[in-house]
Amino acid sequence: MSAITAPAPTGAPAPNENRDRPGMSRGRKLGLTLGGLWLAGLVFFIAVLGFKSHKAPTVASGVFTPTNEFKLDTWFAVGPVDFNKGVLYVIIAAAITLGVMFYVAGRLRQRPGRMQAAVEMFYGLTSGMARENLDDPMARKYFPLIATLFVFILVTNLIGYIPLPVNSIDKFTLFGAHLPSFQIFAADTNVAFPLILSLLVFVLFSWERFKHNHYNPIAALKSLMPSGLSGPIAPLIFVIEILSYFLRLISLTVRLWANLLAGHMLIAFMGGELGVLVGDPWVQWLLFPFGIAIYLFEAVLIAALQAFIFSVLTAIYLGDAVTTH
Amino acid sequence: MPSAAVHIPVASSSGSFLITPNVGLMVWVLVIFGICWFVLRKSVFPQINAMLDRRAKAISDEIDSAEQLRQESQQVLEEYRQRLAEARTQADEIVTRARQAAEAHQKEAVETARGERERLLEQTRRDVEAETRRAIDEIRREVADLTVLATEKVTRKTLTDADQRRLVEEALADLDFSVLSGGEG
Repeated sequence: MSAITAPAPTGAPAPNENRDRPGMSRGRKLGLTLGGLWLAGLVFFIAVLGFKSHKAPTVASGVFTPTNEFKLDTWFAVGPVDFNKGVLYVIIAAAITLGVMFYVAGRLRQRPGRMQAAVEMFYGLTSGMARENLDDPMARKYFPLIATLFVFILVTNLIGYIPLPVNSIDKFTLFGAHLPSFQIFAADTNVAFPLILSLLVFVLFSWERFKHNHYNPIAALKSLMPSGLSGPIAPLIFVIEILSYFLRLISLTVRLWANLLAGHMLIAFMGGELGVLVGDPWVQWLLFPFGIAIYLFEAVLIAALQAFIFSVLTAIYLGDAVTTH
Repeated sequence: MPSAAVHIPVASSSGSFLITPNVGLMVWVLVIFGICWFVLRKSVFPQINAMLDRRAKAISDEIDSAEQLRQESQQVLEEYRQRLAEARTQADEIVTRARQAAEAHQKEAVETARGERERLLEQTRRDVEAETRRAIDEIRREVADLTVLATEKVTRKTLTDADQRRLVEEALADLDFSVLSGGEG
């Protein structure tokens, strides 16, 4: 019986061996490199510092609270008018909104550039919202409100993802100077911002309902009821409809406010704050990629989505106000 | 870069500020939003709307113009096709006419050539006959002269020319010269 022996490996690979293996794309290489660095950093922090908590004194003593960065610290006051970072963000948002809109309006061309195309797209979107939910006279009347709400909230949301030195409560020292810490803050993380806009919308659509019912408050309330409803269930439905009507104010407010506040808190926690609170640097390192992912998700999707939802609900509520059930 | 967090112990709050609306901010937002709303409504949105209307009108005009051009080009194409068809018909007619003319001309040329040939043949025939007749006359005269001469030598008598001629003519009249003229007498 003879043994069949395979030829011994030559050691050096054949010249075309690498050519047959599919090469990694640049993105894959970058991803693998970053993943490797992340794992290496995790191992480094655990190896050097261990699992032992290294809480900062201010954290241990409870002076540092994550929600403090959303507190509106009054910077100065002119009579009864306070000025704080919320006001600053609202002013910046208004300046950017008006600046961009006037810039585009002053350079309108038959063949639009990128910015004009973007503004026209926004105009078409909000114009569509108005036309789909309102009749022509109402659409003409309220389109500016709907469009302004959309662009103003959008800009407010977007600048809320740019780190600015506005945290005057937690300062840092640079060359002896106490400077406000950088933070990502949005004016609509304070409930005042969405609440006043919701109140404005609520008052307007309530007024339109009142007017549509010939200034008769009873008829206006009755118009909330679905048509063809009678019997003992009618009072129950009436109560539900009244509650639902006033809950519009709450839902409009809370939807925008809670989304933005929760988003910013998630970014802050994942971006390192949780690690500071538990006092473990490896936790910071572990969660940092998730912080980036949530940041991108919020900035790319949530900012525009919340602006869209607020303005489209405004259009729907205004349209509902002048619709007879 | 020397940097260190400095925490001011003013913020250890319960967090209730998060759900308590800041009335000052509400007023600011209302005022600033109101200004934006008013300014955009008065100055920006009408311009954008006018621009979009102009573009819509321009597009509509372009579509109308394109439709008109299409119709015109269709009309021109129809005319062209019609003229092409007419030209083809005319060309066919011209070719037919030319062919007919050429055939007629050829026929005429053949007829003319044939007539000319006939005429030439006739002429030739007449010339040959005349020449034959002249040659016969010449031969007759020669024969008559030779006969007179021979007679004189035989008879030693001189006849008058008239007699001699008469005698020869009578003799020759009996001779058949038709052989010389190809059978024609």
